[in-house]
Amino acid sequence: MGSLKLPIATAAVAALVLAGCGTTNERTAGASPEASKSCKGADGTYTIGMSQANVAEPYRQRMDDDIKAAAKDVPQFDVKFADAAQDNAKQVADVENYITQQIDLLIISPNEAKPLTAVVKKAYDKGIPVIVLDRKVEGDAYTGFIGGDNVQIGREAGKYIAEKLLPQGGNVVELKGLAGATPQAERHEGFVEGIKGNPKVKVIAAASGDWLREKGQSQMDALLKANPKIDVVFSHNDPMAEGAYLAAKAVGREKEMKFTGIDALPIPSGGIKAVEQGRLSATFTYPTNGKEAIAAAKKILVDCGTIEKTQTLPTREIDASNAAKIYAEENPNG
Amino acid sequence: MTDVQDKVVATERTSVVATLFRFQSVFGLIAVFIAAIVFSPRKNGEILFISADNLANVVRAVSEIGIIAVGMTFVILIGGIDLSVGAVLGLAAVGSAVLMVEDNWGFLPSVLVVLVIGLLFGALQGIATAMIGIQSFIVTLAGLQIARGLARIWSGGQGVAIAYGDGPNEAPASFALLGERTFGGLVPIPVIIFAVVAIVAVVFLRVSAFSRHLYAVGGNEKAARLSGVPVVRVKVAVFAICGLLASLAGIVHAVQLNQGSPNDGLGYELDAIAAVVIGGTSLAGGRGSVAGTVAGALLLGVLNNILALNNIDSNIQLLIKGLVIVAAAALQRLRPTS
Repeated sequence: MGSLKLPIATAAVAALVLAGCGTTNERTAGASPEASKSCKGADGTYTIGMSQANVAEPYRQRMDDDIKAAAKDVPQFDVKFADAAQDNAKQVADVENYITQQIDLLIISPNEAKPLTAVVKKAYDKGIPVIVLDRKVEGDAYTGFIGGDNVQIGREAGKYIAEKLLPQGGNVVELKGLAGATPQAERHEGFVEGIKGNPKVKVIAAASGDWLREKGQSQMDALLKANPKIDVVFSHNDPMAEGAYLAAKAVGREKEMKFTGIDALPIPSGGIKAVEQGRLSATFTYPTNGKEAIAAAKKILVDCGTIEKTQTLPTREIDASNAAKIYAEENPNG
Repeated sequence: MTDVQDKVVATERTSVVATLFRFQSVFGLIAVFIAAIVFSPRKNGEILFISADNLANVVRAVSEIGIIAVGMTFVILIGGIDLSVGAVLGLAAVGSAVLMVEDNWGFLPSVLVVLVIGLLFGALQGIATAMIGIQSFIVTLAGLQIARGLARIWSGGQGVAIAYGDGPNEAPASFALLGERTFGGLVPIPVIIFAVVAIVAVVFLRVSAFSRHLYAVGGNEKAARLSGVPVVRVKVAVFAICGLLASLAGIVHAVQLNQGSPNDGLGYELDAIAAVVIGGTSLAGGRGSVAGTVAGALLLGVLNNILALNNIDSNIQLLIKGLVIVAAAALQRLRPTS
């Protein structure tokens, strides 16, 4: 036994010595969040890391594409992309890898708030400016948040249904997003507020389609069987609305009711086209903020300026009257 | 005389080759590690891959899959498979969050209850496999759904955020320590847990009689039964160990992410199986080692890390990882049999 004591003691001393070496010039709490340190002006070159929650949803793929397109106009920017595939642990590792690579700025659209908060703070504390997109993190250890207002969007959709689609009242079924996701809760909350103005509008059933087209379709199958009279289907996103439309069409009831969605992606498979082609009555834009994120990054890195802590982008109502025009605007190159 | 000499040389050659194959994942790990250094991005002359912070990140990211993969090794050694481990991880993550944050339980009772749940869940799957005779693939496929369902019910379908403190609806600070770093602020506790699990498993497989039974069941179940090996007991124990380790990984997961979510651990069973396969354990059972699995898990971790550090497109990353798994399995086919 005695022979073990020396190595153990040595190891303990080594551990203590090592423990003392952990200091770096990290940003201390309460210091101003200015990004001046990373700003090298227009002559510098900058590596930006974009951490995406997943690219399985078309909305998120479009966000990456918008960032890519906007960054093309800023020659100083080199943007890297990481896909966390809906795994919080993977996204934490992605951000840590960016920190290791010593990127100049982090853009992140978190999979979930709580699990990503610590690693975002870690990047921010190391002096890396952080722009949070779409979904928030907790606390205020980030440079700026850019997002849409889901409550507002839900409210607009509710109002549209109560005032324009069902002024005489009627039966509505609600297709919700993934249970537990904040946009789902917020879109629902806004929707309930939005239809309050017309007490004759009744929500007769609700089901969760997990944001997915096929799930929206199968849930709608069941809702159709259970409810002989449906006037409007309010879906929390466009793909589920499309799925619901297909379900209704399969039993020949698609003309009895109207469908509305949310997101309005300006892509061939997106909601704007669905409105243009008459499957959906309306959809409401949920901006990807990709363009705005690069503009903010430019302000921080190239112009050495500051950005607003929270930037909320408004939604737009898209119906048959403006769908084609907006689609063309969003895709200037065809 | 030449015959004899040839035989001796041949035997020696086979044993060298056999050893090479036996430690294929260790050599693979070394090769990938060296490649990672070579291909590492550099900044101001510093090789980013071997920076202490980065290496700590690599092992920390590996630890959860590693802990699960150790349990998976046992199951695969007896010729079974456990598809429920990712879902059990989610259930355990939810369980520890709910017990500590919502029910205000203490650290030890919460962790113990969660571990026991994992152990029992695994044992039940073992019983269904060994006593009713349903294939483990089917039993654990069902187990996967059941564990996810339980996790959703227990959490009310939402992620349960973990805040630390002494007040109501706060987890005890001692729980936070599980995710922190130690030894020079560098080695994360999850890595130490993984190391302890791996060492205990290696020693256990070396010295216990149980280990002989385990390899016997995996090699030839009928023969094992005829020679008096308690096959049912071995199977139930193995699945119980696997469930226990999956729930341990779930506790580690919750503390690292400050949340228990019913969607946690999605697809982790496949990563764990990949680590075991790269580690050289045969899916047919009876052959393989925990050390190989540990090397396999580290290999995957290093590979993930270096691909990410070089910003390789995530779709290409999947492709490369797939090819590595196939290559490891192909090497197994070439391995001399005795």
